[in-house]
Amino acid sequence: MSLVGELVVLLVNGLQTGAIYVLLAIGLSIILGTLKFVNFAHGALYVVGAYIGLLITQQISIANGQLAEWGFPTLGLGWGFIAALVIVPPIVFVVGLAMERFVARPFYDRPDTDQILVTFGLAIVVQELIHALIGPRSYTYDIPSEIAGGIPFSGPVGVPLSAVTIDVWRVWVIAITATLVIAVYAIVEYTDFGLVVKAGTRDPEMVRLLGIRITRPYLVMFGIGAGLAGVAGVVGAPLSNINPEIGMTILVPAFLTVVIGGVGSIRGAVLGGTLIGMVQVTLISLGTVSLGSLSINFTPWAQVGIYALAVVVLLTRPQGLLGSEEVTA
Amino acid sequence: MTAILETRDLVKEFGGLVATDHVNLTIEEGELVSLIGPNGAGKSTLINLITRMLEETEGEIFFEGDPITDLEPHEVVQRGIGKSFQTASIFPELTVEENANIASFGAEHGSFRFNFLKHRSSYPAVQQRTLDTLEAVGLRSQKDTTAADLPYGDKRRLEIGIALASEPALLLMDEPTAGMSPEETQSTVELIEDLQEEMDLTILLVEHDMEIVFSVSDRIAVLNRGSIIAEGPPDEVQGDPSVQEAYLGGVEL
Amino acid sequence: MSDEVGSAAETEADSEPVDESPTLYERWRQIHDNESTVAALTILGVALAPFVLVTLPTQLGLPSEYSWYHNLLTLTLIWGIFALGYDLLLGFTGLLSFGHAIFWGTSAYAAGIFSANVTGSPLAMILVGTLTAVLMAWIIGWISLRRGGIYFAILTLAFGQMIYYIFLSPLGDITGGENGFTGVQVGSLFGVVDLGRAVPFVPEAFVDSWMYVFVGAAMILSVVVGYRILNSPYGAVLRAIRENEQRAEFVGLNVWRYKLMAFILSGAFAGLAGSLYVIQRSFVPIENTLNWTVSGDIVVITVLGGVGSLFGPVFGAGLYMYVANIVSGMPVIGEFWHMILGIVFIAVVATMPHGIWGRVDWLRDRVADAIGGDER
Ligand SMILES: Nc1ncnc2c1ncn2[C@@H]1O[C@H](COP(=O)(O)OP(=O)(O)O)[C@@H](O)[C@H]1O
Ligand SMILES: [Mg+2]
Repeated sequence: MSLVGELVVLLVNGLQTGAIYVLLAIGLSIILGTLKFVNFAHGALYVVGAYIGLLITQQISIANGQLAEWGFPTLGLGWGFIAALVIVPPIVFVVGLAMERFVARPFYDRPDTDQILVTFGLAIVVQELIHALIGPRSYTYDIPSEIAGGIPFSGPVGVPLSAVTIDVWRVWVIAITATLVIAVYAIVEYTDFGLVVKAGTRDPEMVRLLGIRITRPYLVMFGIGAGLAGVAGVVGAPLSNINPEIGMTILVPAFLTVVIGGVGSIRGAVLGGTLIGMVQVTLISLGTVSLGSLSINFTPWAQVGIYALAVVVLLTRPQGLLGSEEVTA
Repeated sequence: MTAILETRDLVKEFGGLVATDHVNLTIEEGELVSLIGPNGAGKSTLINLITRMLEETEGEIFFEGDPITDLEPHEVVQRGIGKSFQTASIFPELTVEENANIASFGAEHGSFRFNFLKHRSSYPAVQQRTLDTLEAVGLRSQKDTTAADLPYGDKRRLEIGIALASEPALLLMDEPTAGMSPEETQSTVELIEDLQEEMDLTILLVEHDMEIVFSVSDRIAVLNRGSIIAEGPPDEVQGDPSVQEAYLGGVEL
Repeated sequence: MSDEVGSAAETEADSEPVDESPTLYERWRQIHDNESTVAALTILGVALAPFVLVTLPTQLGLPSEYSWYHNLLTLTLIWGIFALGYDLLLGFTGLLSFGHAIFWGTSAYAAGIFSANVTGSPLAMILVGTLTAVLMAWIIGWISLRRGGIYFAILTLAFGQMIYYIFLSPLGDITGGENGFTGVQVGSLFGVVDLGRAVPFVPEAFVDSWMYVFVGAAMILSVVVGYRILNSPYGAVLRAIRENEQRAEFVGLNVWRYKLMAFILSGAFAGLAGSLYVIQRSFVPIENTLNWTVSGDIVVITVLGGVGSLFGPVFGAGLYMYVANIVSGMPVIGEFWHMILGIVFIAVVATMPHGIWGRVDWLRDRVADAIGGDER
């Protein structure tokens, strides 16, 4: 394979990995920036999206779950992936509103630690409910071949290279994410509704003082953030395995995206997610690099690299790359 | 007289907003100086700069002749600058006595010690200071009450007690009577005056109530949009037309 | 055992005359809060637990699969030590760490690897494990505490994952990767006592092995040290930081260093516990040491049991171990044990600031008040 070809694959994979983090980080970041609410159950929305999508897409056979014992050895609608793609986001949006209303809102006036604890508890309940009902095994999506395949990629005219293949679906994920992010960004930048949200990010104290009624825009933002997490669950699913634990494992890079990008900033989330995705994928693809007698295998460091990135950003720019300086006093 | 506190061309910007603009303020030992000005004038910002809660953009601060701009807030406190907060800042779930006790540890032991295996009662000087503090603000009889259960006025007194436990040379008070009833305000003002006399305190007071300001102050500094526009004894400031213009919008005092 | 431990000093320093005839309850209240009483009660509890929880229920006819067993009790004490230290941070300082698996886990690896390469002396393993945890806590605390509040939880969680992945793969040659470290060689205590052996002259109905005695001693030591810390100036300062960090800074306390110390101290407890865990299991499974679920479990244990007391977290450890190991085997609800714990956890967070033990304590005080009159 040629260098250009490899770089294109790298770029697509990195952007796609980052896209999932971006989708998750936007909701986290805005809620954190405006309501100062830390949602450890944000990953649970991702899991819920992934599993609902799974059950819409296909029929699954349940091996170790209670549902099998209760007379449902198979479950699912089998409507196909496109249906899941359309149906899941609004469902998770509603789930997000419910989460805001019944879990988050009663805790707005409680200390940060209580907010984290209660959402963490919720994340456990969701994870363990799925674990008990459907079982611990991993599932994969059946997706139509036209989006599952690869497209041969040949280089610019005149550059002789052997073709590489790019997963079509990865390109789709990037495109879908870009569209949604631009839409949310436009809402926040150019509507009255967004103006309130933005003002709140600048001056969270004011939002508190004005009381909960004015915060309706945030509730909608909470829902939108949840919907995006649900989207992440469905669009990310065909590229990975689905099991009850994915919510907690994805939460950490999602938080890091927020921390690196800067709390409350959509552009920051995009930058942070892209950086993390690229670092992770680059380290994986580097593989073993030999410099003379010294050879280092970078692949195992891929997971570590993103944390190192976060630590470096944090030590040099505590408010995140695009975050504003923290308001003290 | 010697200057206990001096700020030189102190500037603080938040983004594009200049919250304090080349402020030069000197406070002499033993004075009670009031800082007044409309909302958003930069009074709290100035106080926060002195306590090192905020990092200055430009300028210098001297306390007892030494620069303090490189210090942390707790180091400034250890040097002898105390602060009473805009809202009653206490340890709500602890008892009144424990509140005073903690302040006494800070005062007697400095900012940090490795004494995590030694019993608290083995520090008689701390215990004594705790009692003295409670005595000074008249809360001895309520020492076993949980601080959160005190009436608001008593919370403020406790707060002042905490700020005074370290026997600061300079006390910064940011609106100590905010949110108090007239009676509570009255007794707090008396407390401030008594304490100043008894403890040889120098006080920088931020206060909205002009009656209080004009009756207790030795000197008044007027801040408007981050700049000091007038400074002097109460009667002088009161008559200053620029103050009336900028600060009071022309309304007679 | 004491709950708001801080009251001890003040009660003693209290110079006002004690009224005429203290009731039985008052006298209990006084001896209740003193170090030797706390130590004696812990010794009593540790000594009687096997008989009360393992032997007695079986004798009374409880099916043996629903009863405690000796190893589970030892494991509970180990987690109890972990939780006790964790509560120093969460309950008393108000810092929520989601990375305590780091200290439990790295100490376990350090102790295990040390035993394979240097000596299997249990005390040396504990020393190495605990020191490792302290060092890790110092580094990670130093970085994570730069940002306050919510960032602390996120950063500790992130560091936990980072260390997990480092041990899983890049260091896989040393740590055994996903198989865990299998070369642990636990030697005998002082070169003579094999921890796996029964204790001579003590019936098995009370103590099954030296291991229990060893872990029990560590538990008693931990309680005493924990009690000391809480009654030292640190006890007051840490609670002050929990209540109002800014105010604590403004009485002249170096809040950052006290927080770092709280983090390190709690890391040390976690290190002691992690080392004991390896000594008990002779194996370092990565999923039970460095996985984030361990960090999550210690949060659940401590909050369920009750933050802000010495005994609450230990109680929480017992509850969790029983549910995770015994209830999980029961029909129907067994499958849902973890979810049920999650629901109970949410309920506790929402309504019981001092956990289940806080409720027990509150009830006990009520009953005692009813018996002892309305003297308080
Ligand atoms: N932490 C901060 N971040 C951004 N702007 C601030 C901050 N603190 C104060 N300001 C701004 O600085 C100006 C001065 O505020 P402040 O010092 O609180 O005024 P005062 O106490 O006189 O009412 C105001 O315009 C305020 O909005
Ligand atoms: Mg102010």
